Amino acid sequence: MRLVRSEFLKIRTTNVWWLFALGAVGLLVVAFAINALNMHFGVLQPPVEAGQNMDPEQAAVLSALAEPVALTSYMVTSGQYFGLMFVMLLGIITVTNEFHHQTATTTFLATPHRTSVIVAKAVAGGVFGIVLWLVTTAVTVPATAIFLDAEGITPALGDGEVIRAVLLNGLAYALWALIGIGIGVLIRSQIGATITAMVVYTVGTAAVSIIVNVLTAWLNWEWLANVQWAMPSLASSLMTSGTSLPGQPDYWVGALVLVGWAVVTGLVGTLLTRSRDVS
Amino acid sequence: MTATGAMVTEIAMAGLATTTHTVRMGNVITDGEIVVSGLTKHYKQVKAVDGLSFAIKPGRVTGFLGPNGAGKTTTLRMILNLVSPTAGTATIGGSRYADLAEPLRAVGAVLEASSAHKGRTGRNHLRVICAAAGLPASRADEAMELVGLTPAAKRKFKGYSLGMRQRLGIAAAMLGDPRVLILDEPANGLDPEGIRWMRDLLQKLAGEGRTILVSSHLLSEMELLADDVVIIAAGRLVAQGAVADVIGNAGSAGTVRVRTPHPDTLLEALAGVASSRDDGALVLTGVTAEQVGDAALRAGVAIHGLVTERPDLERVFLDLTAGKEAIR
Ligand SMILES: Nc1ncnc2c1ncn2[C@@H]1O[C@H](COP(=O)(O)OP(=O)(O)O)[C@@H](O)[C@H]1O
Ligand SMILES: [Mg+2]
Repeated sequence: MRLVRSEFLKIRTTNVWWLFALGAVGLLVVAFAINALNMHFGVLQPPVEAGQNMDPEQAAVLSALAEPVALTSYMVTSGQYFGLMFVMLLGIITVTNEFHHQTATTTFLATPHRTSVIVAKAVAGGVFGIVLWLVTTAVTVPATAIFLDAEGITPALGDGEVIRAVLLNGLAYALWALIGIGIGVLIRSQIGATITAMVVYTVGTAAVSIIVNVLTAWLNWEWLANVQWAMPSLASSLMTSGTSLPGQPDYWVGALVLVGWAVVTGLVGTLLTRSRDVS
Repeated sequence: MTATGAMVTEIAMAGLATTTHTVRMGNVITDGEIVVSGLTKHYKQVKAVDGLSFAIKPGRVTGFLGPNGAGKTTTLRMILNLVSPTAGTATIGGSRYADLAEPLRAVGAVLEASSAHKGRTGRNHLRVICAAAGLPASRADEAMELVGLTPAAKRKFKGYSLGMRQRLGIAAAMLGDPRVLILDEPANGLDPEGIRWMRDLLQKLAGEGRTILVSSHLLSEMELLADDVVIIAAGRLVAQGAVADVIGNAGSAGTVRVRTPHPDTLLEALAGVASSRDDGALVLTGVTAEQVGDAALRAGVAIHGLVTERPDLERVFLDLTAGKEAIR
């Protein structure tokens, strides 16, 4: 417990945390606006031409998305993309700071049990994630209600699947800190770790998605499309999608994948930290 | 103090700890002897430390000497569980560092590559450590006061001079009021006044019965500071003991430098004494000034100058570590 307090103090006595929180909340507004426009023009009132030359599969996805439960889940978990990225970055920073500023020696002198240090960092980062999730949700819930109301749809905020999506969204916010910590241990350089993680998170996710889709269409292997859900970022959005959309695995697949990633990165990070020399 | 510590631990082990602060299970040290035994660390290309054994006694300042690359830092980091040994053990008060119940209350360390977050104030740096060690935050201010950093407490670490950083390191080490203090090259970056301040502080702390282990390659400084020395070269022990004993045993016994118009006559009178000539003077080894004076009187030789030269630690150190490659 006192280690967690120490880790919180480390976060609180530097500038990063509020810069990240500010960035995440600022981008939340942007993300919500984009999602709203997307839903308005793409799903609820698709342009006539688009509706004509759309293949039936895509049309099915769109009409499934237009259901209140799917729509509400989608809107209420807005901001997840950037939110998770900032939580991951915070996780990375909490570890790489120790190498960058050479405080690892001091930290491990105070706590020779290195596993406890990683656990404390995971708890502190997870709490940061959950607070960010609370703030985000406090913004998206009323915003979703207003938006859907304006679209003439009754928001399904009380629906079990929506609530599940929101809660799982919170889990994602907490777990991504652990993923960040694992990355930070693996790539000790602060700049190296942040840049690698951001590139993989943004470009990498899109690239995997595109490659998999192209290969699927080309080889006509339907199952291949599912490979993309192994990416932790896509898995996160899958698990918060509320209802299952046609052509997508169920939400729990996403949850399992994400938990798997968090466990693996956390374990690798802990084992490496335990065995490494600090010099 | 240590007795209560042990009691609290026993209660905790019995599962009855309902006190306000948590006490981790583990060992509480009752004396601060550091024992290193067969300690070895092999890196890919170098044997950084090679079967090193020594003991450091409480209540004394022990200098840990060796040329650059001798393995001092590696040894100290192994004692502190930061580097894992290839072989051998190191204990403090009978426990391995990792087994200590409250490591910062037992051992304080100032290591070379320990630093603080550049954007954090010195005081907050100490508070972070206090939180991790379960010490009250007020200890941060007390430690700042102890090292004379109070005026800079609210300044960010990046604005600290080298000397201030070294002082902050000592403050961090003193947070838990430890019985054992381990410092790696603490004089680096200190100005002469800072070095003097640290010497006084360390000697005062040793006087309180604490174990003080200080590494250095600056021997002149150690001669003023240390009671005992452990000298290593190329990862191996070269000499160990009280400063005076090490100087006495090192073979470079005292010399007598004498100026006389008739050196040959004097040498005849001192039959069998090893001698050399230096700048027109005779340098005699293994004799006292009295013996030389008596011999000169017997031989009727005039003496124009007679000086006893005691070897210093520097000389002994150079003799002892000569032939061992310094930078490996
Ligand atoms: N992490 C490491 N990897 C490889 N070699 C190392 C490492 N740390 C130290 N060494 C080598 O071990 C030897 C002892 O180093 P060190 O303990 O730092 O000496 P000292 O502190 O006495 O100057 C040196 O030759 C150094 O190059
Ligand atoms: Mg060194």
